[in-house]
Amino acid sequence: MSRYYGTTVDDIFDTMPERFQPQEAKDVDVVVGYECGGEGGGKWRLKVREGAMAVEKVEGDLGPCTATVFAADAETFIGVTLNKIAALDALTSGKLRITGDASLLMNLLPRIFKPYRVPGPAPVTARDIVAGMADRFRPDKAAGVSLKFAYDLTGEGGGRFTVAIADGRCRVTEGLEKDAAVKMTMEASTFVGLMTGTMDATAAFTSGKVRIDGDMGAAAATGRYFDRYVPPDAPRVEELLSLKKVTSIDQRFATGPVMGKWFAGLRERKLLANVCPVCRRTMIHPREVCASCHVRAGEYVELGPEGYVTNYDLVYYASPDPLTGAVRDTPYACAWIMLDGASPEEAFAFEIKKEDLPRLKIGSRVRPVWAEKTVGSFRDLLYFEIID
Amino acid sequence: MTVGVGKKRVAICAVAQLKNDPDLWHTRFQGMLLEILEDLQRQTGFRYGEGGVEQIVSVSDDFLDARTISNNGVQDVLGGQYLAEEKMAQEGLNAIGYANAVILSGHKDVVLIMGHCKESQGESRNLITNCGFDPFYGRAVGLDYLNAAGLQARAYMAKSGLTDDHLARIVARSRQWAAKNPYANARETLPPGKVKASPMLCDPIRQLHAYPVSDGAVGLLLASEERAREYTDRPVWITGFANAMDAFFFGDRDLTSNFALKKAAAKACERAGIRDLKGAADVVEVMDCYAYQQPMWMEGLGFCGDGEGARFIDEGGPGKYRVNLSGGALAGNPMIIAGLYRAVEAALQLKGEAGDHQVPDARCAVAHSTNGPAGQFHSVLILEA
Amino acid sequence: MQKHRKNRNVAIIGIGQTALSSHKEDQNQVEMVAEAVRNALEDAGKTIDDIDCVVHGNMELFEMQFQPDMWHALGCGSYGKEEYRITTGGTVGATLVCASDNLVASGLYDTVLCIGFEKLQEGNTTGGITNMADPLWFRNLQTGALTSTTAMELIQKFGKERVLRAAMKYRIMMDKHAMLNPRAHRRLGLEYDQMETLMETSPQLVGELRLIHMCSQSDGACAMILTSEDRVREGTAKPPVWIRDHETSHREENMSNLYGARKPKSTHRDCAERLFARNGITDPLGYFDVFEMYDPSAFWAVDWLGEFLLLEGDEHLRLLEAGEFDLDGKLPVNPSGGVIASNPIGATAMLRIAEAALQIRGDAGGHQIKKEVRHALASGFGGSLWTVLMILEKEPNW
Repeated sequence: MSRYYGTTVDDIFDTMPERFQPQEAKDVDVVVGYECGGEGGGKWRLKVREGAMAVEKVEGDLGPCTATVFAADAETFIGVTLNKIAALDALTSGKLRITGDASLLMNLLPRIFKPYRVPGPAPVTARDIVAGMADRFRPDKAAGVSLKFAYDLTGEGGGRFTVAIADGRCRVTEGLEKDAAVKMTMEASTFVGLMTGTMDATAAFTSGKVRIDGDMGAAAATGRYFDRYVPPDAPRVEELLSLKKVTSIDQRFATGPVMGKWFAGLRERKLLANVCPVCRRTMIHPREVCASCHVRAGEYVELGPEGYVTNYDLVYYASPDPLTGAVRDTPYACAWIMLDGASPEEAFAFEIKKEDLPRLKIGSRVRPVWAEKTVGSFRDLLYFEIID
Repeated sequence: MTVGVGKKRVAICAVAQLKNDPDLWHTRFQGMLLEILEDLQRQTGFRYGEGGVEQIVSVSDDFLDARTISNNGVQDVLGGQYLAEEKMAQEGLNAIGYANAVILSGHKDVVLIMGHCKESQGESRNLITNCGFDPFYGRAVGLDYLNAAGLQARAYMAKSGLTDDHLARIVARSRQWAAKNPYANARETLPPGKVKASPMLCDPIRQLHAYPVSDGAVGLLLASEERAREYTDRPVWITGFANAMDAFFFGDRDLTSNFALKKAAAKACERAGIRDLKGAADVVEVMDCYAYQQPMWMEGLGFCGDGEGARFIDEGGPGKYRVNLSGGALAGNPMIIAGLYRAVEAALQLKGEAGDHQVPDARCAVAHSTNGPAGQFHSVLILEA
Repeated sequence: MQKHRKNRNVAIIGIGQTALSSHKEDQNQVEMVAEAVRNALEDAGKTIDDIDCVVHGNMELFEMQFQPDMWHALGCGSYGKEEYRITTGGTVGATLVCASDNLVASGLYDTVLCIGFEKLQEGNTTGGITNMADPLWFRNLQTGALTSTTAMELIQKFGKERVLRAAMKYRIMMDKHAMLNPRAHRRLGLEYDQMETLMETSPQLVGELRLIHMCSQSDGACAMILTSEDRVREGTAKPPVWIRDHETSHREENMSNLYGARKPKSTHRDCAERLFARNGITDPLGYFDVFEMYDPSAFWAVDWLGEFLLLEGDEHLRLLEAGEFDLDGKLPVNPSGGVIASNPIGATAMLRIAEAALQIRGDAGGHQIKKEVRHALASGFGGSLWTVLMILEKEPNW
């Protein structure tokens, strides 16, 4: 078998049933083909339909698929799956290829399958962590402290424990002792998360994952008297932290008299340009000054509404909105349109009707389609459509 | 250091400014700058291209405009059509320093400077200046340029004996002069008692100790000595410019030392060949965004001794040295171009075009600006008629 | 046309780069800038005390750091010194060198340090570029710097098959150069026999523009030290590289007039015409020994070669097809691998000048051109098709 990054391609497919999240796949009906070249590779077919899934290793033809992923070798397939190889680099170099509906792979699959993790040694349990507390006790930090606290850890790997600190010693016993100053109740997995640092303590408390009965202050103090728990398999490297923060400052953009006229024109379903008094260029949308002649342009004319396409961008990859994170449906086209009556210098840019994209070409005649109600905004124009 | 190689001089030929306003909601940056452009064209008849303006230095900021490459959207008004344009992305007085160097280098002879800023556009200028601190510590503890100034104000008041009473008098004087300047933002007179009664913004800085939220635009036309007469009969000469940087973390600085300002002033004087700035300057324009800064920056420029800011005010220093006859930054200029406004006012004085606040026969003027938290960076410009 | 004049001559005496990669969690912005500065000082055999003035630039909204030169004072060594922050968008790295050249030539400063940087990973780049667009209108339509309109125009002029092959030839050539440059970010090991496959299989971004054609997003910084002729005569650690002249050409923000019925002159051609005319260069293809071009995508690169070199018709395509822009061709283009391989935006344009200067010094390592390099051209790109061009020389020959 070809192992890369501690695992095999087979294991990624074998674990799919347990990583499947049926509630996310209710209205899904797709077939995804996978073909991985080289040693340790093979072909797999994944079917997801109405909340159920099936994956099978295939000999011969994959048959019709909604999307198909081709990986040059097992190293690429495993590396990309584990984010050890940037998918973008693999796609760029051609070691990874996708045919069919690529957005399915980027958006749908990550939602209906939990991410694959390399199988490791048996995970640490809450019970193991509590059992080691006496060893991690720091008498120097607990001088003069006398405190008894209890854990009620529910679920697999849990249990009930009492920890007693007195006279510079720490004793852990099974069971809940009645005279504990505070009892902390949580799922065993939550306790493991808190102790290994994968869960944020404040969030766990505020979201109610941890219940505290008794002295809140004592509960908060418990961490002080122990060294931090370190998982036995943790690599000894310096941890690199990064700070995540979205900076947002609200703005109120002025339109000014010139853009104001443009928006007012849209409200009346007119495409207004202003005309340079020197070079007669029709500027659309209108601007305060002609960049070539450095003069104000105060005369307005209505252009179009029809025109022809001089160039266009057919976009398959839409960038996320930097503030909302929303991504537009692809493909869409932004076309440059020479409106009737415009001077030869300037075209107008706008989106083309989605249904018309297959027959869009340079030279296509187009006309605007307006929103039912126009209010003087970008959205007054729905799109331009091709005139037959 | 070689100084004045080539013995060339650079002139400010013309200046234009927009009236500072609390909220220019009715116009875009393009509209604001177009007024400046037309004013300068009226004054000088300049043209773009070979034999005219061949280089533009703009002043604006991506954060303040909320636009990546803030000079891009205004390029048509700046005139950068098939021409060189560069943006000074720090306080605009440095655009004059840089344009001066461009002309001295022989690269271009005529340079247009245009700056704009609308503080009213963003929700809060403090949110913006909070982003001027490092993301790990300074931002997290909530520092911004206002409370940085608060820390400096407290330290300087303790050192110099400056009191709430002094600060009130500084603001009242600023408003008296601003009333004579049609371009100032806050022009209504304000008795000291009212200043002292205004609420604390960031102790010891009161609301009326801080400059009001302002929008504005500024333009200047600079030319080499050989070309200046094509544009003006009254050139104003740039004889000295320098700036200097202090440390970033407050723990690394003495907030009351004027370290950077003293360095910048000394270098600017050296370049201008001036030994005693106090004796030479007929008018001074300092960028006093907060009242305590006027005596503090004057101290840094050498108009009074170390820690003597209170005495400077008590002895009528601002009147004696004709400080901020425009009303100063206290009367309201936007960030990024408040220093550029200082230069415009200084140039108007030397041209004899300062209107109701004109000083008779001014020959030498100083314009100052500062940038960054609590005066981390200072620039000093010396102009002569 | 006025002749080129300079108050005094200026040379590049120090070059410092950081490694370029998509992840730099091991450094914060200040530390990254400091690494480039230290490398430049070491290269020049100078200390920070020898620096009179620091020039700093990037694009603020990419990292969301307001006036970053304040915090970066720690890493730039600008404490107690004079400093400018000058920016122009994607061109900024080149603008910083132009500005430093002006500052030294003015006689006001003897030795100037300039720094361009970007930590693109700390922000959303395509979003940041889209924020460039007018918030009232075009922000609703733009997708960063991704466009295939140039590909469309080339295809209209020269035919689809030829243009697609030319773009791929250029792309694979760049990768072959990048493979020789250990500092390059993206090094893919492409071969010319992959051309057909890549033309079909590389994911489509916009129209004919595929992922393979587009530049990367990188973190990195570049610093350079410039000094006056007098100081050069006192001796330098490495051979000086002379800045002969530079020019900038901007244009209005609105793209409307690029796609009308009448084509405007390109800023690249305008800039090259003005710069070459005042320096008496009539045959740029023959004059220059290397061209480091800011090439954000393969189609733009193919088109712009014709514009910068003032070529007519399909001459640029013929030269490309004949291998004349290869490392051993008539005019090698981007021996470093160019922007397609590495793109820390605020440093990218400075890297073009730095790489051109390294070629003149004979100091480029694995991607050094075999024949002697005496005259070099470097370009920057940014804004709405803005351009900066700089001429570097081995000797002050003007």
